Amino acid sequence: MKKTIPILCVLLLLVVSACQAMPTGSPQPSATPASPSGTATAEANTQPPITIRYAKGFTLEYKGNYKILTVTQPWAGAEQALTYILVPRGSEPPANDGNATVIEVPVRSFVAMSTTYFPFLENIGKLDALVAVDDATYVYNPTVREKAASGEIAVVGGGMGGPSANIESLLELDPDVIMTSASGIPELDVYPKLEEVGLPVVINGDYLEQTPLGRAEWGIFIAAFFDLEQQASQQFDALVQRYEEVQALAAGVQERVTVFTNTDFQGTWYVPAGESYAAILLKDAGAEYLWEDQPGTGALPLSFETVFEKAKDADFWLNPGFAASLQDLLAMDARYAEFKAFQTGQVFNYNAKVTDTGGMDYFESGVANPDVILKDLIKIFYPELLPEHTLFYYQQLK
Amino acid sequence: MPKNASTEVTPDNSRTASRSRSVGFGVFALLVLLLVLAFVVSLSLGSVSIPLREVVRILTGEPALKESWGTIVLDFRLTKSITAVLVGGALSLAGLQMQTMFRNPLADPFILGINSGASLGVALVVLSIGTAGTAFLAGLGALGDLSLALAASVGAGLVLALILLVGQRVKNPTTLLIMGLMFGYATSALTSLLIYFSRPERIQAYTIWSYGSFSGVTWNQLKVMAPVILVGLGVAVFLTKSLNALLLGEDYARSMGLNVKHARFFILLSASLLAGTVTAFCGPIGFIGVAVPHVCRNLLHTSDHKVLIPAVVLVGAIAALAADALAQLPGSQYVLPINVVTSLFGAPFVMWVLIRQRRGGTSFTV
Repeated sequence: MKKTIPILCVLLLLVVSACQAMPTGSPQPSATPASPSGTATAEANTQPPITIRYAKGFTLEYKGNYKILTVTQPWAGAEQALTYILVPRGSEPPANDGNATVIEVPVRSFVAMSTTYFPFLENIGKLDALVAVDDATYVYNPTVREKAASGEIAVVGGGMGGPSANIESLLELDPDVIMTSASGIPELDVYPKLEEVGLPVVINGDYLEQTPLGRAEWGIFIAAFFDLEQQASQQFDALVQRYEEVQALAAGVQERVTVFTNTDFQGTWYVPAGESYAAILLKDAGAEYLWEDQPGTGALPLSFETVFEKAKDADFWLNPGFAASLQDLLAMDARYAEFKAFQTGQVFNYNAKVTDTGGMDYFESGVANPDVILKDLIKIFYPELLPEHTLFYYQQLK
Repeated sequence: MPKNASTEVTPDNSRTASRSRSVGFGVFALLVLLLVLAFVVSLSLGSVSIPLREVVRILTGEPALKESWGTIVLDFRLTKSITAVLVGGALSLAGLQMQTMFRNPLADPFILGINSGASLGVALVVLSIGTAGTAFLAGLGALGDLSLALAASVGAGLVLALILLVGQRVKNPTTLLIMGLMFGYATSALTSLLIYFSRPERIQAYTIWSYGSFSGVTWNQLKVMAPVILVGLGVAVFLTKSLNALLLGEDYARSMGLNVKHARFFILLSASLLAGTVTAFCGPIGFIGVAVPHVCRNLLHTSDHKVLIPAVVLVGAIAALAADALAQLPGSQYVLPINVVTSLFGAPFVMWVLIRQRRGGTSFTV
């Protein structure tokens, strides 16, 4: 039990900090050396500059023959930015204050400690570079699963909430870069130990982005390590265009449907606040999310009766936890049958694509494809707007 | 707790059962009144503000002003308040039994590892949903919203069976206590292992369960929970004399003609049924079980179980209702975990009761 207490404490902290860390919008940490908009200037570069438009957590700059990636928000409430200097393989690292991590690019081998990096690697054709993952149990990507099963991709631990990292295996693999997320609590994060033994670790803050496009823009961050950021940037521009096209479709609806999300658990119903990732997707899909006016980016711990009072007659119920059928919901709490959305069968969950061991594609490739999520949502709310589309991540609970 | 309730009783006369019963009558009348009051308050307080008059109308079967209010009062608040009464009473009684049996003021209903067993059962369900383990648990879904409680009951039941088995073989109560601790460690280790290999969002679900809650209990679940608790309570009432005898030590009890082995079996059965059922439906609710017996002994100045058993049930129920009312943060739409409230507000209260008692000159005795 001793071991679990700190984990549970951190989870509590994470929930609390998620609720409170960013009350309105995400303030830019002061230690950002780059220009505020994250504009990259191509000095010794003939390629067009890349502008980071939606992501608030990183900037990309070009200096001489090297690139500087600055993670302005490595974890919630971080006070200091992290700097990564990406130098061409074999060249001398530029002088720096010693706080920056120097990484030779393009990297040839990549260790991913979060499944959200897979779709971005796949987009730039670099899934082959993946040599190790933290845990294969919750992976959805079929290629990664197969390779992990055959041993071609090593399983090394170290992911958030999972088993601790197998440092010995990592040292033996000697990867060019290890990418991970961090909580900011050194005792629980994997990066301090990895840095200590001299492994090249990079902290990715994609999960802190509150906008779907901001999260997807981290594909450029990952691509920069392969010198493929131009390709990733073009792909991202196309994604933005697709996203905005479907968003415009929904923007014209006359009567907005009402939506609520999640489930109660033992009397507490966590409801995403109005500026959270989930709420923004619902808003962009033209729905009236019942808590859209609640400021904040985290989740609110509401009582069941509060949610019941407000959502009883709502049109749609989305993302009801682990439920895969209406029967599952009743098994959790018989009172769910009192919701109108339950009675009319308008309950949808993003678990259409799951593996036997619990890998969910929504949390994996969904990060890179917010336009598909948005299409799913619009198809659910206003099917007449997208007659051709079939649900990809979502399914209607029967 | 009002001061005048306890000033009527002095330590001298509390030892004689007949006197304490007559003195206790006024106290019990007061406690029952408080319980009714707390019950009404708990029904009228909540995140959604419903006027008391409407609450009464709904309870008497008249249609509510707003349809959703009817559902809220009958399906949410009434179940929650009844649950709180059952939980508070059950845990306090189980705590009293354990403290007496082990002659240990720190004993609580879960000292023998009952809640660790229940936690393991719940961890198996919560942490393995959507994974290969579900196949084994899929059948539980057919039982409606009893699956989590059933898993917890199976876990608690297994530990209970082990305790009863060991309890019959081990002579020394301290050995039994240590055995219980060991069961707890072993099952906690398995739970930790499950947590270690789980996803954050599942761990969060499990964590929320471990904070305890009265709100998750539905009518369907109450139909199972209430009878089991009443059985545990009934068994405890029959054990009053045995508990009084055990106060003076097992040897003395034996010399008074008590079948210690027999008594121990039924005390363990009753306490485990009470504590195990509560944990199964509401999660591991801490503090009440250890604190309420102390409060009652100190306020009533007695160790007589004829007085203490009804007293802890009443005070426990009141404490649970009060804790729940605070947890609902009346006027706000948020809720706090019940364990946070019981410990945060309960601990200073118990300290106050104990200090006040010391000043009176009588030291703590179990």
